Amino acid sequence: MRWAGPAALVVALLVPLVPAGGYQQYVVQVATFVLINAAVALAWDIQARTGQLSLAPAAFFGLGAYAYTMAALRGVPLPVAFLLGPLVAGAVSLGLGVVTLRLHGLYFAIATLAFAEVVKVIFKELPLDLTGGAVGLTAPPLLGGHQTGLYYLGLGVLLLVVAVSLAVRHSRLHYAFTAIRQGELTARVLGVRVVATKLLAFVLSAALTGLAGAYATSRLFFVIPEDTFGIGLSVTALATAIFGGVYTTAGPVLGAIILRSLEEGLRLVLREGYLAVYGVILMLVILYLPGGLVSLWNRRSRDAAGGD
Amino acid sequence: MLLAATNLSKHFGGVAAVRSLEFHLDPGEILAIIGPNGAGKTTVLNLLSGVFPADEGRMVLDGVDITRLPAEDRCHLGLGRAFQVVQPFPEMTVRDNLMVGALFGSRQRSLAEARRRTDEVLALTGLAGRAAMPARDLTLAWEKRVEMARAIATSPRVLLLDEVMAGLLPHEADEMLAVVRSVRETGVAVLFIEHVMRVVRDLADRVIVMDFGEKIAEGSYQDVTGHPRVIEAYLGTEETGGA
Repeated sequence: MRWAGPAALVVALLVPLVPAGGYQQYVVQVATFVLINAAVALAWDIQARTGQLSLAPAAFFGLGAYAYTMAALRGVPLPVAFLLGPLVAGAVSLGLGVVTLRLHGLYFAIATLAFAEVVKVIFKELPLDLTGGAVGLTAPPLLGGHQTGLYYLGLGVLLLVVAVSLAVRHSRLHYAFTAIRQGELTARVLGVRVVATKLLAFVLSAALTGLAGAYATSRLFFVIPEDTFGIGLSVTALATAIFGGVYTTAGPVLGAIILRSLEEGLRLVLREGYLAVYGVILMLVILYLPGGLVSLWNRRSRDAAGGD
Repeated sequence: MLLAATNLSKHFGGVAAVRSLEFHLDPGEILAIIGPNGAGKTTVLNLLSGVFPADEGRMVLDGVDITRLPAEDRCHLGLGRAFQVVQPFPEMTVRDNLMVGALFGSRQRSLAEARRRTDEVLALTGLAGRAAMPARDLTLAWEKRVEMARAIATSPRVLLLDEVMAGLLPHEADEMLAVVRSVRETGVAVLFIEHVMRVVRDLADRVIVMDFGEKIAEGSYQDVTGHPRVIEAYLGTEETGGA
């Protein structure tokens, strides 16, 4: 699959340049959403490699989005406000991680879900002039709102997440993450610093999710508690990663490309009915391809190598 | 003395699993702990490796008090542990299982150093031919070997082995014996639990016998197997009807 990554990058770079007539804007817009979904799903996956099911991506996405918006509205230079997104999300995740990462399985998942809901309520109930309450805030656009420029910025954000994912995969962390996921006690007895490692994964993932949140807001131009902190965002992140293939770099990206395109295509054809078909496709893949779409490729390359 | 335990005790509810146990391990020594089922042998290894805390007593490894240290710190100080119920990382290959021990064990290694260490241990334990297999595809005998190899890969000063020969065919056990001996030749001390008496006889420099959480005998294999309390523990007395 050596050529697949570079080929995908070339295609991504060409997207805004393909003449699509009246659909040009629409294509770039959908492609931008693919970039955001892929970044959030891959950031979720990095953390999932330690075996912890987090339902908090929406919280870190929202924190990044609000950090950018609130700072930008108070006159902070936009590039600085943009970097506040990942910083705030990362700092908050450090605090949350310290108290929750000793929990396991369902308990950790529920704790992260509760945290996301609490953050949403807080942003809704804070004074209006601070967070805009339930109505939210209008966000100043980056790059003057230039659509093509923002598309390439989004591609940069995704490439950063991909770079972090690949760096983790090819470092000592890969062994620590996988060992913790497959047997936490055994990993400890073999010398893996389990809590510190899980915390690192959690903070790394949250900061990248916050970056995606700041980026999405600079592209969407608004933040609203119900959307920006919506549970749907967390569910989409994990569904995308599982659909494409968990614990891989290619899986969540591939999942985002296919799921988001599918969603848009079905919506055009079926209108409101699209969610039913979308749901069935998602279920079929999860049922019959437990390793996600990338497992199709791995199966083929293994057969080619003589199998095992 | 490389490793010493004094007054070591552990209760589970009202049951005393280990009672005021005292023992030591010398550098390069192979010490066996034997005893009937439920004697508290595995609990001793769990206390030593930090799987759960001791209620009372003290454990010292080469002058460092490890009694309250978490499991990972004990590993860094040189305690390597193989579990009785094998715990391979199922979706990792045999090689990657060993890599975890090599990377994070008693020496923090870079990826390149850990690969070299892993290759050494794969060769030493006869696992080189199965290095690329996922651990879940192995038979129990090979899983036991991975379990031990992974502990060896941490470069321990003390290797704790919990019934690594149980369930093996005689020639498989002989191969494991040879591995343990060659590890000892590199200066590693070994503390092992075993039910297979032939293994205890052939391998142990010294034997501790436990029953109901207490040490009831200590000495050479010949000494302890002739000891009246040991015979009583294994065979029962006339009065209790041999239960």
